[in-house]
Amino acid sequence: MENEHASRNPWGTRFQPVGFQGFSTHSKPAFPLHCDGVFVMPSTFVQEKLPNGLTVVIESLPHVRSVACGFLVRTGARDDTPQLAGVSHFLEHMCFKGTATRDSIRINVEFDEMGAQYNAFTSKDRTFYYGWVRAEDFERQLELLADMMRSTLPEPEFETEKSVVLEEIAMSRDDLASTAYDALYENVCADSEMSWPILGYERTIQALTRDQMHAYFRRRYAPDNLVLIVAGNVAPDRVLAAAGRYCGPWAPAGDGSFRRHTPPVRTGSATRVCERFHQQAVMIAYPAAAGTDPMDETADATAAILGGVNSRFYWNIMQKGLSTRAGVFRDEYTDFGLTILFALCEPENCEKVCEAMRHEAAELTARGTEPKEIQRVRNLRRTSLAVESEAPFYRLGQIADDVEYLGAPRSPEQRLAAVNAVSAESVAEYLRRFPITGEGFLVSVGPRQWPA
Amino acid sequence: MGWKQRQCVPEPHAPQAPGSLPIGVRVRERIDHRRLSCGIELAVLPLEGRPVAAVEIRLPAGYAFESPEYLGVAHVVDETIVKGTAKRDGRELNDAFDAIGATHGSFAGRENFGFSFLCLPEFLDQAVALHAEMIRTPSFPPEDCAVGVDLTRQMLAALEDDPQELAKKLLHRQAYGEPLGRHALGEARTLERIGRDQIVEHWRRHFSARGMLVAVAGAVEPEAVADLFERYFEGFTGDGEHPPGFPLEFHPGRSHREKDLEQEQIAICFPGSAVADEDYPTGQVVIGVLAGGMGARLFTEVREKQGLVYWVGAWSDQSRFGGMFHLGASTTPANLEKTYATLLREIDRIGEDVTEAEVERAVNGIVTRSYTRGDITRARAGELVEDLFHRGRPIPAEEKIARFRAVTVRDVRAYLEKHPREHLSVVTVGPKELT
Repeated sequence: MENEHASRNPWGTRFQPVGFQGFSTHSKPAFPLHCDGVFVMPSTFVQEKLPNGLTVVIESLPHVRSVACGFLVRTGARDDTPQLAGVSHFLEHMCFKGTATRDSIRINVEFDEMGAQYNAFTSKDRTFYYGWVRAEDFERQLELLADMMRSTLPEPEFETEKSVVLEEIAMSRDDLASTAYDALYENVCADSEMSWPILGYERTIQALTRDQMHAYFRRRYAPDNLVLIVAGNVAPDRVLAAAGRYCGPWAPAGDGSFRRHTPPVRTGSATRVCERFHQQAVMIAYPAAAGTDPMDETADATAAILGGVNSRFYWNIMQKGLSTRAGVFRDEYTDFGLTILFALCEPENCEKVCEAMRHEAAELTARGTEPKEIQRVRNLRRTSLAVESEAPFYRLGQIADDVEYLGAPRSPEQRLAAVNAVSAESVAEYLRRFPITGEGFLVSVGPRQWPA
Repeated sequence: MGWKQRQCVPEPHAPQAPGSLPIGVRVRERIDHRRLSCGIELAVLPLEGRPVAAVEIRLPAGYAFESPEYLGVAHVVDETIVKGTAKRDGRELNDAFDAIGATHGSFAGRENFGFSFLCLPEFLDQAVALHAEMIRTPSFPPEDCAVGVDLTRQMLAALEDDPQELAKKLLHRQAYGEPLGRHALGEARTLERIGRDQIVEHWRRHFSARGMLVAVAGAVEPEAVADLFERYFEGFTGDGEHPPGFPLEFHPGRSHREKDLEQEQIAICFPGSAVADEDYPTGQVVIGVLAGGMGARLFTEVREKQGLVYWVGAWSDQSRFGGMFHLGASTTPANLEKTYATLLREIDRIGEDVTEAEVERAVNGIVTRSYTRGDITRARAGELVEDLFHRGRPIPAEEKIARFRAVTVRDVRAYLEKHPREHLSVVTVGPKELT
């Protein structure tokens, strides 16, 4: 419920740039679109940049009754500094707390008046604000979200919301998976901008001032660092007109001084003893393809074969009674990625689980994939593409990934082509580029001091 | 894991509305509703142009139906039913699903044992055939049964790492009585007694086409769907015992479980309405006023104004014949008393000062979710099977929306008078007990 762990679609991937420049429209045939054996709902993409630098991406879905829209802000925990760890996430909270024309109650009440499903999240590299409403409320919701992007970060709300964030940090410490995930990045990417938790630390949040946050906000929430994404039953020209009205006056920051630095991915091991937990979390991390990598789809397929549905981890680790939850996922960013093998187990099973995970990774590398495994990931991905095409809300995340990594959204044909390009050979090639057979970085969190 | 969300409120129960029509009639929205000769009650919602078909199956075989000596056995059945059939071993069975790209899952719920699957429409026949094979002829391999019991034991122990679920388990046990107050994972002492014989026995007694509810939505044709289920489940009469359901008791009280945690978990419940009750929509509007969105009372009063929590929520929990309101929050020990007092105050005052604007917002939330979720085929199938279980018939979306739109402030006040809240069942989990 709270701190829901990212249920990232492991096949939610990108492949190659569409090559949109300026205003582009792709017309589609009448629905449903039959695409290489898969029916997907038809859509039309438009992408445009406003004079102030704000990118607007629109996917028109005439078959639905709703519209989802969101602002993607290219800022996240990695853009915090060690002294300001947690500022991106805290700022996300503060954007709900007041604007020049609305207080926090008014913002929430207006969303509720529309019956919107709305929220925001912060990750290592982005912040995303979104809402999903009936088509007739599209413009009202866009105006509200746009207003929040010009938050006044009201001083009286700052300390109250600080308490909320401190509660969120306390809650994450009661969660084994969150604690283990944070410990993994603190060690694998030590001494880099990826090392601190998204929520920050109690001490950095306590010390943070409203002025420090405001300075960060002004630099990072400039229109040239934002993308407006809209998906649903709405005409593109209506979206562009509304975006011009509500976002057009925003002044660009003109500050290109911030830079991201690709972190080192270390090898070794680390243990965090937390006696309050019953289970032990065991994770092993290796370098992986970035989100921009042409082998992105293969990277996710590899993780799925090893640790997804009906995978080797499922049959050879979980179904051997070694772990209640084991799998493989990839965290990808614009400049690097991590493949993470993980399992939750009883503390006395740490050695067996670790050995089993390494064994499965070695087997896949040495012997390659079976044809049915390739077929499985392709088929499941095709089904997920069909499902995703149904609802605007599902589309936002995929479009955000495409825009971030490729510069523009991909058509259904391009996405299916990427799926179909996955093969035994591409998996083998991927594992040569990004091996998962070495030492990696082993992190263990739980009641047991293991490895010693 | 990779991101932190601003707010999480439990998803309200799917809106329902009362009413009844005899089985066999076709109702609005082109929902086809019929009972098949094999005993299955089937509802089909054709949605032209959708790219998928979604199917929900429910059997009266949840953990409320377990023998008291073998609590947790329904969950072990869930762990093992995909491990093989008379024709295939577990890997072959799962490979067969993968070969058609079908996503599938199962669960052992309180009253129902459920199967859900989704596939491209052209694979519906194969997906139904595979489910029939799994439901009718599971092989329950002995080694997989042993692993299933052991994994269930591990999951039960791991509840200690999930404070919210632990609080929920303790509250249900305290407030609901037997058998609805049980937990899906059973108890350590009862899991020790479970072997293959008990697993097979639970399946044999509770799995049959009689009592099975099936809902299908998407690019499907009702006659063809009916033929499919008729064909694949013909003669599956089983030894099924199918009591219609169990009464939902309510036992007020307060208890605390001391535990080394950063936060205290607070879990509260009190009686509400069953889905079939005339005033059920009003009860859902009450939930909406309390926690329908970030502008609702709990979020505003507990978090926005006082900063006491990150998570606070309210929701309803529906059994077939009863309903319960739930409130929950987690907070650090220093804020425990204040958070609890605020929750009690909000429970009390809602009957006194609820406004028209609040009711309107709560209704809008329910109606809009009906529209937005209506775009998702899987959500439509899920709602349909809930209608069959709680109401005995599919309810057209327009009918539900009309029921919610009709709720007024006066209805809400009358509802809250009718459902007094002076007796609560309360559980806290954490380092500090309430004074």
